[in-house]
Amino acid sequence: MSRSDVLVDADWVQGHLDDPGLVLVEVDEDTAAYDKGHIKGAVKLDWKTDLQDPVRRDFVDRAGFERLLSERGVSNEDTVILYGGNNNWFAAYAYWYFKLYGHHNVKLLDGGRKKWELDSREMVTEVPSRPATSYRAQEQDRSIRAFRDDVVAAIGNLNLVDVRSPDEFAGRLLAPAHLPQEQAQRGGHVPTAKNVPWSKAAEEDGTFKSDDALRALYGNEAGLDFSRDTIAYCRIGERSAHTWFVLHELLGQPNVKNYDGSWTEYGSLVGVPIELGDGK
Amino acid sequence: MSASQANGSGGCGAPAGGIKVTAGAGSQAVVQGHVTSSGTPVPSGYARLLNAQGEFVAEVPLGEDGGFVFYAAPGDWTLRVLAPGGVRVEQPVSASRGMITELEVAV
Repeated sequence: MSRSDVLVDADWVQGHLDDPGLVLVEVDEDTAAYDKGHIKGAVKLDWKTDLQDPVRRDFVDRAGFERLLSERGVSNEDTVILYGGNNNWFAAYAYWYFKLYGHHNVKLLDGGRKKWELDSREMVTEVPSRPATSYRAQEQDRSIRAFRDDVVAAIGNLNLVDVRSPDEFAGRLLAPAHLPQEQAQRGGHVPTAKNVPWSKAAEEDGTFKSDDALRALYGNEAGLDFSRDTIAYCRIGERSAHTWFVLHELLGQPNVKNYDGSWTEYGSLVGVPIELGDGK
Repeated sequence: MSASQANGSGGCGAPAGGIKVTAGAGSQAVVQGHVTSSGTPVPSGYARLLNAQGEFVAEVPLGEDGGFVFYAAPGDWTLRVLAPGGVRVEQPVSASRGMITELEVAV
């Protein structure tokens, strides 16, 4: 797998907007962003109402994912180009879903919505109408998803990467600084986790750093042992999907899991070990 | 949309830009404000919060009114605004618990 298999740049997207068999999908937390303007032809996914189970804390199940993509007019054969706000957090999170449910031909737009906007590229408000499909998903690929027991078992054994900001890692904040400070019962991080904020993998315009810079970041600087398996987590699993994308898709690390329960689950568990303080 | 609704979105992601905290900061250390260009709101752009070491901490898209809100920890921060046309402007800011710190940023 190389970078060009999983990532396309804004110029490429601009030149392929009308290609048949290519579907642009904007994924946001704030879907008002899509309504305000989006890349021509893009359909939208709401990370919460579309991708989360409405009752239990879990994702849409396989049948729900099939219904969703069928209704949005995405077929199994389509090349799906994902992009979104927040430096592609939610697009990376959706990318991880597409992989989890076995859609192979999916890529991220490097820099996402921010790069497109900062480049002053065209955005439209017209919502495309795509004929419904009969999308078929595979069983979840559990090799890329970690659960809480996997995380506890990984302490001191596997690479644990906490991709939240240093203040969240240390336990001084419980959420990113643009959200009200609540959620998990306790602050801190999983013992032995390395703190590599997701933002270190991205340039200011939201594009990913070069493979060499990324390898140096996680290897030499953070001290990850690339010969070991890795679990990435954040607060609710989408910033860590961004880092999962970097480690698994860009750098080709074989065994990398995203812990989507992340700190809102771990920091509320009874009896698990927690470490406080800044990264070492 | 109220601040409590933004909170209810539950994500790590940005709530819709420009949500103003109006009912008091409570126990939060709120940094909020507007970005304008020649007195006109800048609705397309991003506000980034950097910590005292210059490390990125958070980012929100600007609201229709050029507004942004951060829930920071008490301390010194730098606000950086990015907007189309290569705009990149910084302003220092101090946040205190229970306080709403207002910033007006001209680009």
